[in-house]
Amino acid sequence: MTAGLVAVLFVAAGLVAVGAFVAAWRRDLTVALAGIPLMFAGAGTAFAGVSRFAAAPAGGAQLLGQEVAVLLSVAALAAVALGVGLAGREGRR
Amino acid sequence: MDSLHAIGFYVSAAISVAGGLSVAFLPDRVRRGMALGAVAIGVAGIYLSLSAGFAALVALACYAGCALLLAGPAYRIVESVTGSPWRQLGAIAAAALFVALAYAAYFGDFHRATYFGGEFGSAAIGRRLFAHDALATEAVAALVLVALVGAAAAWRARDRNR
Repeated sequence: MTAGLVAVLFVAAGLVAVGAFVAAWRRDLTVALAGIPLMFAGAGTAFAGVSRFAAAPAGGAQLLGQEVAVLLSVAALAAVALGVGLAGREGRR
Repeated sequence: MDSLHAIGFYVSAAISVAGGLSVAFLPDRVRRGMALGAVAIGVAGIYLSLSAGFAALVALACYAGCALLLAGPAYRIVESVTGSPWRQLGAIAAAALFVALAYAAYFGDFHRATYFGGEFGSAAIGRRLFAHDALATEAVAALVLVALVGAAAAWRARDRNR
């Protein structure tokens, strides 16, 4: 049993599509915010996968994709924090 | 990729996608938060099976933080003015997006890619984040700072209006 880059990209596509679906489907905008980390997780999965399956010139693995995955995780948390803060100002319990 | 990594990858992928779909359909915020926590665990598992241990730790912390924010007492309801036909159109567009991305992944000549496994890699990632790509790290740090200041200002304005 093995998993190649195509499987990683399939999972990444699924996460991005599920995130877009959450953002489009939910009537409550605060819940729709949950689509942002899902889409960022999909993008991070694609970056980490490509970095793991792409050889660096020296023969080892690339690390740029992992680095982008880390930055995407932090950016997702920041976006959700700002969205929840704005929703707390405008929304109701 | 050996069998153990592949099994971990597929299980983590199933957990994360199922958690994401649960976020779309579960009715109350606590369960949605738990589903987003499952997504955090699944994404961390995916990164771990791709030998990206440091990214897995950061993703677990950040996406679990997102889950706590969306399930916590700070949650407020903001109703959208978008009607049902537009939401259904958005759902169809999300499905079309998946088909397009999957098509590009399958027919994009990625079948011959070779797996380069490795160790945890936190030192190498740290060198890239804080030396080679320090500007990108500082840009994300500025984004986080602006987001947190904005969130705090929004909460203060809300408390003042009470």
